[in-house]
Amino acid sequence: MASLELIDVRKTYGSGHTEVVALDHATLTVGDDEIVALVGPSGSGKTTLLSIAGGLLSPTSGQVRVGGEDITRYTNRQRTRFRRRRVGFVFQQVNLVPFLTARENLLVMPRIAGRRDRAVLERADRLLAELGLTEQAHQLPATLSGGERQRVAIGRALMNEPALILVDEPTSALDTRLGEQVMQLIVDEVTSRHTAAVIVTHDPRMARFAHRRVEIVDGHLHAPAPA
Amino acid sequence: MYLALREIRRSRGRFALGVGAVGLLVFLILFQQTLLTNLLGFFTGGLANQSGDVVVYAADARRTLAGSVVPAETVDAVAAVPGVARAGPLHEATFTVRPAGGRDLLDGVLFGYRLGGPGHPTTLREGRLPRRDGEGVASAVDADAGFGLGEVVTVEPAPGAEPVRIRIVGLGDDLRFSVQPTVFVSTATFAAARRATNPAAAGAPVLPSAVVVETAAAADPAVVARRVTARVAGVEALTRDEAVASAPGVAATRQSFGVILGLAFVVVGLVVGFFLVILTVQKAGALALLRAVGAPAGLLVRSLLTQAFVLAAAGAGIGVVLLTAAAARSSPAFPISVDGPAVAATCAVLVALALAASAVSVRRVLRIDPLQAALGPSVGGLA
Ligand SMILES: Nc1ncnc2c1ncn2[C@@H]1O[C@H](COP(=O)(O)OP(=O)(O)O)[C@@H](O)[C@H]1O
Ligand SMILES: [Mg+2]
Repeated sequence: MASLELIDVRKTYGSGHTEVVALDHATLTVGDDEIVALVGPSGSGKTTLLSIAGGLLSPTSGQVRVGGEDITRYTNRQRTRFRRRRVGFVFQQVNLVPFLTARENLLVMPRIAGRRDRAVLERADRLLAELGLTEQAHQLPATLSGGERQRVAIGRALMNEPALILVDEPTSALDTRLGEQVMQLIVDEVTSRHTAAVIVTHDPRMARFAHRRVEIVDGHLHAPAPA
Repeated sequence: MYLALREIRRSRGRFALGVGAVGLLVFLILFQQTLLTNLLGFFTGGLANQSGDVVVYAADARRTLAGSVVPAETVDAVAAVPGVARAGPLHEATFTVRPAGGRDLLDGVLFGYRLGGPGHPTTLREGRLPRRDGEGVASAVDADAGFGLGEVVTVEPAPGAEPVRIRIVGLGDDLRFSVQPTVFVSTATFAAARRATNPAAAGAPVLPSAVVVETAAAADPAVVARRVTARVAGVEALTRDEAVASAPGVAATRQSFGVILGLAFVVVGLVVGFFLVILTVQKAGALALLRAVGAPAGLLVRSLLTQAFVLAAAGAGIGVVLLTAAAARSSPAFPISVDGPAVAATCAVLVALALAASAVSVRRVLRIDPLQAALGPSVGGLA
């Protein structure tokens, strides 16, 4: 079964002569434990695609399924619930709640889902350990390095055991070496959990960490020529 | 709770500042309320704390003791009205009085009532009620000003007349009237004071200012008052509370304080409202992120209201602590009391006000677009 199916998705912003077509005829299937790299230049529609796949944005037309669940016509309330339970996000910019420690930024996920059992605490500590953040667990984001913050965000995305992980430009703020480490970490974590992931990047070098690579230009998806 | 309390813990300084500001405002409000209560007590305590639960004025007196004179036979006419257990005369006038200990002359109020009858003070704190002519119960706040227990105050006579001496045998709480030291005496002592200060009218009877009524146990004073007004010619009967509310100065004082207190409440609302708006705007990014990862808007609103509650409740706590400290240092001449139920009511209103004041922030939270978290702060804006 596919983790993510986009079927002929179109997204436009604005209307009339200010209308921008951010995504057009986008059709994409991501398998159960497949990792797809979405590569394209700035403004090509990568974030738009990710937002639609994650239930942050509804498509202008087309169909969106995640883990067999058709979310195309979900209400705001349904989409909020869907995001909380089915997807894990790593955003490009603001990723952590500044007044929560690293550990609390993970724990806030089960909290907003109404869970507060012991298992959740153990899961957070295990994730922090895997991400090499045990020592930083009780630090606030402001005292963490860029790479550490990115790792906390990855832990947060994995916290509620989502079916699909959506990662937007995880390496753009990091140098190449650190970027590759973070990329490797995401791939390891996702693979070991048999979770699907879409990782957006404008840096083709980062794409080799994925199982498959999809290119996007001006809102159109292209499978790259086989290497 | 998880979010609200952690945020408070991580920005203690900021919340402490907010709580401090609210606390000072709450203290200001509570203090002004005490001030108002004191002031009203000084205006009307003597009338409020006498035993008659209905006060019968002359119809043309415009509901003031000073403007009221009733004929002697009115007392019996009132006594005959059903529901009246006991009726008696009540005299009230301001005299020039020399307190004990050779102090300077001052204006003082005498209340004259029939000893053993209605109109006696009900808030005796020390000593006893007068048993014979020449004895009096004074307002306890004036005890140190020459109206102390066992001391003798003198009604200053007109030239050539004999002074009238009153021995203070009891002290009562909140017995002042017209903001003057007040002494409750017998009708005969009151009449003697009248004659000593106005020898020209020596032969004329001294008429009561009003009739005071103790109603029968089962009777409703308001009903009895209406009945007295209807059945006795030339009078207007009021319940004690009505009489107190229509005493001179009460309405004006209430009104001025009402304006000041109202403003203070508004300022509390504004301070809490602004504080929360600033907080909400500053963490707009974090709020969008939380919405994006699936936090329901209701959860963020609850978190905001929790903070508004903490702000108001902690502020109210500080206000009460300051008031209690002030009460501990207050003097009998200017008593500051902590009136539990009134303070609790004020604090409840303040908490409700703080919750209402968070409405603007609640609206902002509800309008947050979770997509902002994906797009980043560069696209769109906070508005
Ligand atoms: N909220 C929006 N309103 C209007 N235009 C938008 C909005 N978000 C994105 N766009 C436009 O849609 C296009 C795709 O944007 P985006 O998906 O953010 O691209 P990428 O993530 O690849 O840089 C761009 O032209 C961008 O300007
Ligand atoms: Mg983007």
